[in-house]
Amino acid sequence: MRKLFLLIISFYQKWISPAFPARCKYYPSCSSYAASAVSNYGVRGVFMAIWRLMRCNPWSHGGVDYAVKPLQNIQKTSVGVN
Amino acid sequence: MGFILNPLYNFVSGVIVLIHKALTPIFGFDSGVTWALSIVGLVVLIRIILIPLFVKQIKSQRALTALQPQMKAIQNKYKDDRQKQSEEMMKLYKEHKTNPLASCFPIIAQAPIFFALFTVLNGIAAKTDAGVSAPIARGFLKGEYLDSAAQATFFGAKISQSFLGSTDTTVKIVTIILIFIMSATTFTTQRQLMVKGMPKMDSSNNMMLQQQKIMLYLFPVIFAVSGVNFPVGVLIYWSTTNFWTWGQQYYVIKRNPTPGSPAFEELQQKRKHKEKLENREQSGTVINPENTDPGQTGAAPGQRKQPKKKKKK
Repeated sequence: MRKLFLLIISFYQKWISPAFPARCKYYPSCSSYAASAVSNYGVRGVFMAIWRLMRCNPWSHGGVDYAVKPLQNIQKTSVGVN
Repeated sequence: MGFILNPLYNFVSGVIVLIHKALTPIFGFDSGVTWALSIVGLVVLIRIILIPLFVKQIKSQRALTALQPQMKAIQNKYKDDRQKQSEEMMKLYKEHKTNPLASCFPIIAQAPIFFALFTVLNGIAAKTDAGVSAPIARGFLKGEYLDSAAQATFFGAKISQSFLGSTDTTVKIVTIILIFIMSATTFTTQRQLMVKGMPKMDSSNNMMLQQQKIMLYLFPVIFAVSGVNFPVGVLIYWSTTNFWTWGQQYYVIKRNPTPGSPAFEELQQKRKHKEKLENREQSGTVINPENTDPGQTGAAPGQRKQPKKKKKK
Protein backbone atom coordinates (compact mmCIF):
# COMPACT_ATOMS: atom_id res chain seq x y z
CA MET A 1 0.00 0.00 0.00
CA ARG A 2 2.84 2.35 0.89
CA LYS A 3 4.54 1.48 -2.35
CA LEU A 4 1.39 2.23 -4.33
CA PHE A 5 1.13 5.69 -2.77
CA LEU A 6 4.80 6.39 -3.37
CA LEU A 7 4.45 5.22 -6.96
CA ILE A 8 1.53 7.59 -7.55
CA ILE A 9 3.45 10.48 -5.98
CA SER A 10 6.58 9.84 -8.01
CA PHE A 11 4.49 9.55 -11.17
CA TYR A 12 2.95 12.92 -10.35
CA GLN A 13 6.36 14.44 -9.67
CA LYS A 14 7.89 13.09 -12.83
CA TRP A 15 5.08 13.52 -15.35
CA ILE A 16 2.40 15.90 -14.15
CA SER A 17 4.02 18.48 -11.91
CA PRO A 18 6.72 19.64 -14.38
CA ALA A 19 4.03 20.68 -16.85
CA PHE A 20 2.83 23.40 -14.52
CA PRO A 21 4.62 26.30 -12.90
CA ALA A 22 5.77 25.80 -9.31
CA ARG A 23 2.85 26.47 -7.06
CA CYS A 24 3.48 25.03 -3.62
CA LYS A 25 3.86 27.53 -0.79
CA TYR A 26 5.96 25.23 1.32
CA TYR A 27 9.40 23.75 1.33
CA PRO A 28 9.58 20.84 0.72
CA SER A 29 6.65 20.84 -1.68
CA CYS A 30 3.40 19.06 -0.81
CA SER A 31 4.27 16.08 -2.99
CA SER A 32 7.71 15.46 -1.48
CA TYR A 33 6.23 16.06 1.97
CA ALA A 34 3.63 13.41 1.19
CA ALA A 35 6.27 10.99 -0.07
CA SER A 36 8.41 11.25 3.04
CA ALA A 37 5.38 11.23 5.36
CA VAL A 38 3.95 8.07 3.79
CA SER A 39 7.27 6.23 3.66
CA ASN A 40 7.98 7.06 7.31
CA TYR A 41 4.58 6.90 8.97
CA GLY A 42 2.38 4.81 6.65
CA VAL A 43 -1.33 5.45 7.11
CA ARG A 44 -0.65 8.32 9.51
CA GLY A 45 1.50 9.82 6.77
CA VAL A 46 -1.45 9.82 4.38
CA PHE A 47 -3.45 11.94 6.81
CA MET A 48 -0.41 14.16 7.38
CA ALA A 49 -0.21 14.68 3.61
CA ILE A 50 -3.93 15.52 3.35
CA TRP A 51 -3.61 17.97 6.22
CA ARG A 52 -0.59 19.52 4.55
CA LEU A 53 -2.53 19.93 1.28
CA MET A 54 -5.32 21.67 3.16
CA ARG A 55 -2.79 24.00 4.74
CA CYS A 56 -1.33 24.85 1.35
CA ASN A 57 -4.22 27.20 0.59
CA PRO A 58 -4.44 30.80 -0.60
CA TRP A 59 -4.59 32.13 2.95
CA SER A 60 -1.52 30.39 4.30
CA HIS A 61 1.92 31.95 4.32
CA GLY A 62 3.74 28.71 3.61
CA GLY A 63 7.23 28.30 4.97
CA VAL A 64 9.60 25.46 5.72
CA ASP A 65 7.81 22.38 6.97
CA TYR A 66 9.32 18.90 6.99
CA ALA A 67 7.38 15.70 7.56
CA VAL A 68 10.55 14.19 8.97
CA LYS A 69 13.26 16.56 10.15
CA PRO A 70 16.40 15.71 8.23
CA LEU A 71 19.45 15.35 10.52
CA GLN A 72 21.84 16.78 7.98
CA ASN A 73 19.78 19.90 7.75
CA ILE A 74 19.84 20.61 11.49
CA GLN A 75 23.63 20.40 11.49
CA LYS A 76 23.85 22.73 8.54
CA THR A 77 21.71 25.44 10.14
CA SER A 78 23.46 25.22 13.51
CA VAL A 79 26.80 25.80 11.81
CA GLY A 80 25.30 28.75 10.02
CA VAL A 81 24.09 30.27 13.31
CA ASN A 82 27.48 29.96 14.96
CA MET B 1 -18.80 8.30 -1.62
CA GLY B 2 -22.40 9.32 -2.23
CA PHE B 3 -22.50 11.85 0.58
CA ILE B 4 -19.59 13.72 -1.00
CA LEU B 5 -20.60 13.37 -4.61
CA ASN B 6 -24.34 14.03 -4.39
CA PRO B 7 -23.94 17.67 -3.30
CA LEU B 8 -21.48 18.10 -6.17
CA TYR B 9 -23.93 16.58 -8.68
CA ASN B 10 -26.59 18.88 -7.27
CA PHE B 11 -24.33 21.91 -7.58
CA VAL B 12 -23.19 21.19 -11.14
CA SER B 13 -26.60 20.15 -12.46
CA GLY B 14 -28.34 22.92 -10.51
CA VAL B 15 -26.16 25.62 -12.04
CA ILE B 16 -26.58 24.18 -15.53
CA VAL B 17 -30.37 23.91 -15.18
CA LEU B 18 -30.62 27.45 -13.76
CA ILE B 19 -28.62 28.98 -16.61
CA HIS B 20 -30.62 26.86 -19.03
CA LYS B 21 -33.83 28.31 -17.59
CA ALA B 22 -32.49 31.84 -17.99
CA LEU B 23 -31.42 31.26 -21.59
CA THR B 24 -34.50 29.34 -22.76
CA PRO B 25 -36.48 32.50 -23.71
CA ILE B 26 -33.59 33.56 -25.97
CA PHE B 27 -32.48 30.38 -27.70
CA GLY B 28 -35.29 27.94 -26.99
CA PHE B 29 -35.68 25.02 -24.58
CA ASP B 30 -34.25 22.24 -26.75
CA SER B 31 -31.63 24.28 -28.53
CA GLY B 32 -28.05 23.01 -28.35
CA VAL B 33 -26.90 26.62 -27.99
CA THR B 34 -28.79 26.87 -24.70
CA TRP B 35 -27.15 23.70 -23.39
CA ALA B 36 -23.66 24.60 -24.58
CA LEU B 37 -23.95 28.08 -23.08
CA SER B 38 -25.18 26.54 -19.83
CA ILE B 39 -21.92 24.62 -19.59
CA VAL B 40 -19.95 27.74 -20.50
CA GLY B 41 -21.91 29.57 -17.80
CA LEU B 42 -20.86 26.97 -15.25
CA VAL B 43 -17.22 27.63 -16.12
CA VAL B 44 -17.70 31.39 -15.91
CA LEU B 45 -19.39 31.09 -12.52
CA ILE B 46 -16.65 28.87 -11.06
CA ARG B 47 -13.89 31.07 -12.43
CA ILE B 48 -15.56 34.23 -11.10
CA ILE B 49 -15.75 32.62 -7.67
CA LEU B 50 -12.03 31.88 -7.94
CA ILE B 51 -11.05 35.44 -8.96
CA PRO B 52 -10.58 36.73 -5.36
CA LEU B 53 -8.05 33.96 -4.78
CA PHE B 54 -6.24 34.96 -7.92
CA VAL B 55 -6.22 38.63 -6.95
CA LYS B 56 -4.81 37.68 -3.57
CA GLN B 57 -1.98 35.82 -5.23
CA ILE B 58 -1.21 38.73 -7.55
CA LYS B 59 -1.17 41.14 -4.62
CA SER B 60 1.40 39.07 -2.78
CA GLN B 61 3.46 38.93 -5.96
CA ARG B 62 3.43 42.68 -6.09
CA ALA B 63 4.51 42.86 -2.43
CA LEU B 64 7.52 40.84 -3.49
CA THR B 65 9.13 43.79 -5.25
CA ALA B 66 10.16 45.10 -1.82
CA LEU B 67 11.96 41.83 -1.08
CA GLN B 68 13.98 41.80 -4.30
CA PRO B 69 17.35 42.70 -2.72
CA GLN B 70 17.01 39.95 -0.12
CA MET B 71 15.93 37.46 -2.77
CA LYS B 72 18.97 38.29 -4.87
CA ALA B 73 21.21 37.89 -1.83
CA ILE B 74 19.80 34.42 -1.22
CA GLN B 75 20.24 33.47 -4.85
CA ASN B 76 23.88 34.54 -4.78
CA LYS B 77 24.61 32.92 -1.44
CA TYR B 78 23.23 29.51 -2.42
CA LYS B 79 24.13 29.57 -6.08
CA ASP B 80 25.06 25.89 -6.21
CA ASP B 81 22.50 24.52 -3.78
CA ARG B 82 19.10 24.88 -5.31
CA GLN B 83 17.34 23.08 -2.48
CA LYS B 84 18.82 25.34 0.15
CA GLN B 85 17.98 28.28 -2.07
CA SER B 86 14.28 27.46 -2.23
CA GLU B 87 14.24 26.61 1.48
CA GLU B 88 15.66 30.03 2.39
CA MET B 89 13.28 31.67 -0.06
CA MET B 90 10.30 30.07 1.67
CA LYS B 91 11.64 31.25 5.04
CA LEU B 92 11.90 34.78 3.68
CA TYR B 93 8.31 34.68 2.40
CA LYS B 94 7.06 33.39 5.71
CA GLU B 95 8.94 36.08 7.66
CA HIS B 96 7.34 38.78 5.59
CA LYS B 97 3.94 37.07 5.55
CA THR B 98 3.74 37.11 1.80
CA ASN B 99 3.87 34.22 -0.61
CA PRO B 100 3.72 34.63 -4.37
CA LEU B 101 2.93 30.98 -5.06
CA ALA B 102 -0.56 29.85 -5.91
CA SER B 103 -0.80 27.00 -3.35
CA CYS B 104 -1.83 23.43 -4.01
CA PHE B 105 -5.32 23.17 -2.60
CA PRO B 106 -7.38 25.09 -5.21
CA ILE B 107 -6.56 22.75 -8.10
CA ILE B 108 -7.36 19.72 -5.99
CA ALA B 109 -10.61 21.37 -4.97
CA GLN B 110 -11.52 21.88 -8.61
CA ALA B 111 -11.04 18.26 -9.58
CA PRO B 112 -14.25 16.99 -7.91
CA ILE B 113 -16.32 19.58 -9.79
CA PHE B 114 -14.83 18.42 -13.04
CA PHE B 115 -15.50 14.81 -12.08
CA ALA B 116 -19.09 15.65 -11.15
CA LEU B 117 -19.69 17.31 -14.52
CA PHE B 118 -18.17 14.30 -16.22
CA THR B 119 -20.53 11.96 -14.37
CA VAL B 120 -23.60 14.14 -14.91
CA LEU B 121 -22.94 14.35 -18.66
CA ASN B 122 -22.08 10.67 -18.90
CA GLY B 123 -25.37 9.93 -17.18
CA ILE B 124 -27.19 11.61 -20.04
CA ALA B 125 -25.47 9.34 -22.52
CA ALA B 126 -26.11 6.12 -20.59
CA LYS B 127 -27.52 3.16 -22.51
CA THR B 128 -29.02 -0.17 -21.54
CA ASP B 129 -27.16 -3.35 -22.41
CA ALA B 130 -29.33 -3.68 -25.50
CA GLY B 131 -28.12 -0.28 -26.68
CA VAL B 132 -31.33 1.60 -25.99
CA SER B 133 -30.71 5.08 -24.65
CA ALA B 134 -31.60 5.21 -20.95
CA PRO B 135 -30.40 8.49 -19.45
CA ILE B 136 -29.60 8.48 -15.74
CA ALA B 137 -30.86 11.51 -13.83
CA ARG B 138 -28.29 13.06 -11.48
CA GLY B 139 -28.98 16.05 -9.26
CA PHE B 140 -31.38 18.55 -10.80
CA LEU B 141 -30.92 17.31 -14.34
CA LYS B 142 -34.04 15.17 -14.58
CA GLY B 143 -37.42 14.90 -16.26
CA GLU B 144 -37.87 17.12 -19.30
CA TYR B 145 -34.45 18.66 -18.77
CA LEU B 146 -32.81 15.26 -18.99
CA ASP B 147 -34.70 14.36 -22.17
CA SER B 148 -33.84 17.70 -23.73
CA ALA B 149 -30.16 17.47 -22.75
CA ALA B 150 -29.94 13.96 -24.20
CA GLN B 151 -30.96 15.38 -27.59
CA ALA B 152 -29.01 18.65 -27.42
CA THR B 153 -26.34 19.13 -30.04
CA PHE B 154 -23.22 21.25 -30.34
CA PHE B 155 -22.43 21.92 -34.02
CA GLY B 156 -24.43 18.82 -34.85
CA ALA B 157 -22.79 16.55 -32.24
CA LYS B 158 -24.71 15.42 -29.17
CA ILE B 159 -23.15 16.98 -26.07
CA SER B 160 -23.36 13.69 -24.20
CA GLN B 161 -21.44 11.68 -26.80
CA SER B 162 -17.71 11.02 -26.86
CA PHE B 163 -15.28 10.19 -29.65
CA LEU B 164 -14.93 6.56 -28.63
CA GLY B 165 -18.54 6.12 -27.56
CA SER B 166 -20.11 7.13 -30.86
CA THR B 167 -20.12 6.03 -34.47
CA ASP B 168 -21.42 9.40 -35.67
CA THR B 169 -18.92 11.18 -37.93
CA THR B 170 -20.08 14.60 -36.79
CA VAL B 171 -19.32 13.67 -33.18
CA LYS B 172 -15.83 12.53 -34.22
CA ILE B 173 -15.11 15.74 -36.10
CA VAL B 174 -16.45 18.01 -33.33
CA THR B 175 -14.53 16.15 -30.60
CA ILE B 176 -11.31 16.29 -32.61
CA ILE B 177 -11.69 20.03 -33.11
CA LEU B 178 -12.44 20.55 -29.41
CA ILE B 179 -9.48 18.41 -28.36
CA PHE B 180 -7.32 20.46 -30.69
CA ILE B 181 -8.59 23.70 -29.14
CA MET B 182 -8.03 22.26 -25.68
CA SER B 183 -4.45 21.26 -26.44
CA ALA B 184 -3.66 24.49 -28.28
CA THR B 185 -4.91 26.71 -25.46
CA THR B 186 -2.99 24.70 -22.85
CA PHE B 187 0.13 24.89 -24.97
CA THR B 188 -0.04 28.64 -25.59
CA THR B 189 -0.87 29.36 -21.94
CA GLN B 190 2.12 27.42 -20.71
CA ARG B 191 4.43 28.81 -23.37
CA GLN B 192 3.38 32.35 -22.57
CA LEU B 193 4.17 31.75 -18.92
CA MET B 194 7.51 30.07 -19.63
CA VAL B 195 8.72 32.68 -22.07
CA LYS B 196 7.49 35.82 -20.36
CA GLY B 197 5.95 35.17 -16.98
CA MET B 198 8.53 33.29 -14.93
CA PRO B 199 11.40 34.77 -12.94
CA LYS B 200 14.70 34.33 -14.72
CA MET B 201 16.32 32.47 -11.83
CA ASP B 202 14.37 29.39 -12.84
CA SER B 203 16.32 29.06 -16.05
CA SER B 204 19.50 28.58 -14.00
CA ASN B 205 18.42 25.04 -13.40
CA ASN B 206 18.75 23.44 -16.78
CA MET B 207 17.28 20.09 -15.97
CA MET B 208 14.05 21.52 -14.70
CA LEU B 209 13.72 23.80 -17.68
CA GLN B 210 14.41 20.89 -19.99
CA GLN B 211 11.76 18.81 -18.29
CA GLN B 212 9.32 21.67 -18.53
CA LYS B 213 10.00 21.98 -22.24
CA ILE B 214 9.32 18.30 -22.79
CA MET B 215 6.05 18.58 -20.91
CA LEU B 216 5.10 21.59 -22.93
CA TYR B 217 4.96 19.41 -26.02
CA LEU B 218 3.90 16.20 -24.35
CA PHE B 219 0.86 17.54 -22.59
CA PRO B 220 -1.23 18.21 -25.68
CA VAL B 221 -0.60 14.59 -26.66
CA ILE B 222 -1.83 13.41 -23.27
CA PHE B 223 -4.91 15.55 -23.69
CA ALA B 224 -5.58 14.09 -27.09
CA VAL B 225 -5.34 10.56 -25.72
CA SER B 226 -7.61 11.18 -22.73
CA GLY B 227 -9.95 13.54 -24.60
CA VAL B 228 -11.35 10.76 -26.80
CA ASN B 229 -13.09 9.38 -23.70
CA PHE B 230 -14.76 12.66 -22.75
CA PRO B 231 -18.28 13.64 -23.79
CA VAL B 232 -18.55 16.76 -25.95
CA GLY B 233 -19.99 18.68 -22.97
CA VAL B 234 -16.89 18.04 -20.88
CA LEU B 235 -14.69 19.13 -23.77
CA ILE B 236 -16.70 22.37 -23.99
CA TYR B 237 -16.13 22.88 -20.27
CA TRP B 238 -12.42 22.20 -20.56
CA SER B 239 -11.88 24.42 -23.60
CA THR B 240 -13.75 27.30 -21.99
CA THR B 241 -11.81 27.05 -18.77
CA ASN B 242 -8.57 27.01 -20.78
CA PHE B 243 -9.57 30.15 -22.63
CA TRP B 244 -10.33 31.80 -19.32
CA THR B 245 -6.96 30.81 -17.87
CA TRP B 246 -5.18 32.11 -20.94
CA GLY B 247 -6.98 35.45 -20.86
CA GLN B 248 -6.41 35.89 -17.15
CA GLN B 249 -2.74 35.12 -17.50
CA TYR B 250 -2.37 37.42 -20.47
CA TYR B 251 -3.87 40.26 -18.47
CA VAL B 252 -1.63 39.64 -15.47
CA ILE B 253 1.57 39.25 -17.47
CA LYS B 254 0.85 42.54 -19.22
CA ARG B 255 -0.32 44.51 -16.21
CA ASN B 256 1.15 42.91 -13.14
CA PRO B 257 4.02 40.55 -14.01
CA THR B 258 6.00 38.49 -11.51
CA PRO B 259 9.06 40.43 -10.30
CA GLY B 260 12.16 39.19 -12.06
CA SER B 261 10.40 37.87 -15.16
CA PRO B 262 11.10 39.18 -18.67
CA ALA B 263 7.60 40.67 -18.79
CA PHE B 264 8.33 42.52 -15.54
CA GLU B 265 11.46 44.07 -16.98
CA GLU B 266 9.58 45.03 -20.11
CA LEU B 267 6.92 46.77 -18.06
CA GLN B 268 9.50 48.52 -15.89
CA GLN B 269 11.32 49.80 -18.92
CA LYS B 270 8.06 51.01 -20.36
CA ARG B 271 7.23 52.81 -17.12
CA LYS B 272 10.69 54.32 -16.81
CA HIS B 273 10.44 55.49 -20.36
CA LYS B 274 7.12 57.11 -19.59
CA GLU B 275 8.49 58.76 -16.45
CA LYS B 276 11.48 60.00 -18.38
CA LEU B 277 9.23 61.59 -20.93
CA GLU B 278 7.09 63.17 -18.26
CA ASN B 279 10.08 64.44 -16.33
CA ARG B 280 11.58 65.83 -19.46
CA GLU B 281 8.39 67.71 -20.10
CA GLN B 282 8.30 69.02 -16.54
CA SER B 283 11.90 69.99 -15.84
CA GLY B 284 13.33 70.17 -19.32
CA THR B 285 16.42 68.19 -18.30
CA VAL B 286 17.50 64.70 -19.23
CA ILE B 287 17.73 62.35 -16.29
CA ASN B 288 20.97 60.55 -15.57
CA PRO B 289 20.61 57.12 -17.22
CA GLU B 290 22.28 55.48 -14.19
CA ASN B 291 19.34 56.38 -11.99
CA THR B 292 16.78 55.16 -14.44
CA ASP B 293 18.21 51.71 -15.10
CA PRO B 294 16.15 49.33 -12.94
CA GLY B 295 18.64 46.46 -13.25
CA GLN B 296 21.56 48.43 -11.87
CA THR B 297 19.76 49.99 -8.94
CA GLY B 298 18.26 46.62 -8.04
CA ALA B 299 21.56 44.74 -8.13
CA ALA B 300 23.72 47.27 -6.33
CA PRO B 301 22.47 46.80 -2.74
CA GLY B 302 22.66 43.02 -3.11
CA GLN B 303 26.25 43.18 -4.25
CA ARG B 304 27.26 45.50 -1.45
CA LYS B 305 25.82 43.25 1.22
CA GLN B 306 27.58 40.17 -0.02
CA PRO B 307 31.20 40.96 0.94
CA LYS B 308 30.08 42.21 4.37
CA LYS B 309 28.53 38.88 5.22
CA LYS B 310 31.63 37.00 4.14
CA LYS B 311 33.87 39.15 6.34
CA LYS B 312 31.75 38.39 9.40
CA LYS B 313 32.42 34.71 9.02
